[in-house]
Amino acid sequence: MPTTITETPADVVILGVGYMSGVIAAELSDPLLNNGKAYSVVAITKGPYWDYVNDFSTTKYDEWGVGLGRKYDSPLPLQSTTIRNTPYQFALPVRRYTMPIQYHALGHGVGGAAQHYGGTMGRQGPWGYQMLSQTNTRYPGTIDTINPHNDLQDWPLQYYQYEPYYVQWENAHGLCGNYNGSTDNPGSDSSGYPWMSQNYRLPPHPLTPAAQLFQSTVQSAPFNYHPFPHVNALASQPYVNQYGVPVNPCVYDGYCGGLCDYACETGAKANAAYRTIPAAMKNGNFTLVVNSFIFRLDTDPTSGLVTAARYYDPQGNVHIQQGKVFFNGMWGYNMIRIMLLSGVGAPYVWKSDPTMVSGTVGRGMTNGYSPYRGTNVSGTLSNIGGNAYPAGNAGGGSVDIYDLMDDNFDHKNLGFIGGSQIGVGGYPGGGPGNITFAGGVSSASMGGTFKATQKDKYLQTKTVLSSTPFAPDLPTTDNYVDLDPHYTDIYGDPLARLTYDWTPNMYVGATYLATKVKDIFTAMGASNVTVSNTVLPGAVHNDWWGHHLRGGCRIGTDPTWSVWDKWNQCWSPTVKTPFNIFGAGEITNTSGDTVPSGTHVAGPQSYRAAEGIKQYLGLMTPGLVP
Amino acid sequence: MPALRLSDKPKPIDLPQIQSRIPKPEELVVLSKPLLDATIIIGRALMDCKNKWAIGGDVAEVISGVNVQPKHIAILSTKDGCDEIARKLAEYQVEPPRTVERVLDRDANVDLKLHKVRIKSYTSRFDVEGSLLDVHGNLQIKVGEWDWGDPLDFDPDYVYVLGVKMPIVPLKMKSELYSGLGWTDRAIKIHEAVMRSRHMFG
Repeated sequence: MPTTITETPADVVILGVGYMSGVIAAELSDPLLNNGKAYSVVAITKGPYWDYVNDFSTTKYDEWGVGLGRKYDSPLPLQSTTIRNTPYQFALPVRRYTMPIQYHALGHGVGGAAQHYGGTMGRQGPWGYQMLSQTNTRYPGTIDTINPHNDLQDWPLQYYQYEPYYVQWENAHGLCGNYNGSTDNPGSDSSGYPWMSQNYRLPPHPLTPAAQLFQSTVQSAPFNYHPFPHVNALASQPYVNQYGVPVNPCVYDGYCGGLCDYACETGAKANAAYRTIPAAMKNGNFTLVVNSFIFRLDTDPTSGLVTAARYYDPQGNVHIQQGKVFFNGMWGYNMIRIMLLSGVGAPYVWKSDPTMVSGTVGRGMTNGYSPYRGTNVSGTLSNIGGNAYPAGNAGGGSVDIYDLMDDNFDHKNLGFIGGSQIGVGGYPGGGPGNITFAGGVSSASMGGTFKATQKDKYLQTKTVLSSTPFAPDLPTTDNYVDLDPHYTDIYGDPLARLTYDWTPNMYVGATYLATKVKDIFTAMGASNVTVSNTVLPGAVHNDWWGHHLRGGCRIGTDPTWSVWDKWNQCWSPTVKTPFNIFGAGEITNTSGDTVPSGTHVAGPQSYRAAEGIKQYLGLMTPGLVP
Repeated sequence: MPALRLSDKPKPIDLPQIQSRIPKPEELVVLSKPLLDATIIIGRALMDCKNKWAIGGDVAEVISGVNVQPKHIAILSTKDGCDEIARKLAEYQVEPPRTVERVLDRDANVDLKLHKVRIKSYTSRFDVEGSLLDVHGNLQIKVGEWDWGDPLDFDPDYVYVLGVKMPIVPLKMKSELYSGLGWTDRAIKIHEAVMRSRHMFG
């Protein structure tokens, strides 16, 4: 007989245990980091604790089970989401992990989605934090034409203010890279890559021959670009972070990327489970609650403050976890959904007239990843030294440039803003990729062509260059998340509903950027360099729910459009503002260029939020941290 | 907006649950903050040291993922290295270099017989921000009444401690030493750490 259990109240209650939550756990549970105060911290997640040896070593080499069965991932029968392209459509639920609807699955358990990702990282530069004001200054009067129903906003802080938090986050997770490729990392940087007060803590992974060719090509005239090794979070060397947690290096087993981004059996793939959570657990005043599904936040009707999180355990018991302050670190829609289900914050209400919209929770959703059907550039290099990397990992080996993103080139009369990071040369064997037909049956995925491709992976005779550049997706008042009126989770609560379609800026930018990439590939000596599948705005529509969703629960400068303030503290307007809940994640990013990882951009927010929570706990009366 | 009505009542769900065990705090390998801070100071100070040196002792094991509880930091080097380190860490020195011989607390267990273990080295001692550091030059080991062994020599492994590239005494050598002394519990701990860091159980 299920029953209701009231747990011992905690100082800090963390919802979800992914990347951002791990930072909160490590920072708040350690008395040495809190002037001797031993805060009690409870973190609740719907999935299990993963031990990388016991859970992954002998079971991850299962392309069917991991890639298609998604055995490590969030079970869709538990909860899913519904998607549609416009507010005038009927949204349908995602019921299977399959292409093209859902290719990268959601995370499940401690470590979250970062248990199985490519580890791709990259800081967002100063422009990314001030996209609106910079655009209005340099290209006045253009943003509403470029982005109809525009809802682009600036971040509450500028890059230089986030820079110290970037450092902390990179220290914690052991990011690999080498500044911006320059030897001195000048403070006033002309390479486009943001200046850094310290280098990444680990050296980059070895570069492939294709990456080295790309590097030498783009450094030369006529390009004179600024290449640097791809930044990623797969430990290239043994590492110890600032919490004293030792990290094993990557073993380049070849089951890392591919269709599904495999879990790592040595813990080299940075995520909270193997970087920050161990430090919290060691502190002794941290409690980890697994396999428990949070379904409501209770609020005090008088003060408006959040008083407790309610969750189901696997036996169906309801637990009530009270706390002084709460951190919402749930993934993507789930962060939005729990607030909508609980009446925390002001829900976004869409109107066809963009001046009539209201509310903040769910507003400003964008997609940080490439559309399935984009403008693609491809070419073929003859054998450039053999394949030194028949196996590898998902995030290393390549070289990037930032010269074609942000406002690092003149956008006057181009019809778009921002641009794309261009990278070449990842490990050919970064993922197994044997079940290629998972991406759709074609002549290239079956029979002789498929066999030749597989053979060439190990006995390489050529290198295929491919790039699908696009400019950033921009927030509009028409892309948002709310609660679905028809479909529910296993417990009977409404699913999150994603109303989203690609914005014109992405495809207009793609057309321009493709010509630049074509020039680079040609200069590298590639043959058959072609721009194919040129996609015009409105020609294709979103058909997946993505894994780099950004916005929808934004931090900002004004509570009329943002959920969280400069401390990632809730200031979303309601009758009584729930000041005692903070949140961080890619979904709280205000905006951004197509930096490879919104996760990296979200990371500094987690340290900012940790600082905010510490200050909040010191306030005499609940309110906004000054 | 008011909160939505709660679900009718709690109910068990028919989904497979992965019952992974959450490790206990004592099972987690974490280097304490004072030792971590001291290790980084040492690493930075000795970055351009001309003589061979490496972090040894339990700290080297923890930063390699071995579950032990270090109380102080140890460095293995040569006699010249010990002098060079003494110069570079002069501000932290509490005992100048000199030859020291002592008996370890733990006996060797060889062929089911216990033997005293003696070590001899050219040693200096430091206090680095409250953490004790012993630097051993030309460390030799003597088991029971056997002859003194040759000074320990090795090619270090490297670990990046918060970005500082730190030479450490290789786990392989330590494992062999422990096995030779009959300290199988320590050898097993190293084996466990190596298994966790290698592809498919090494």
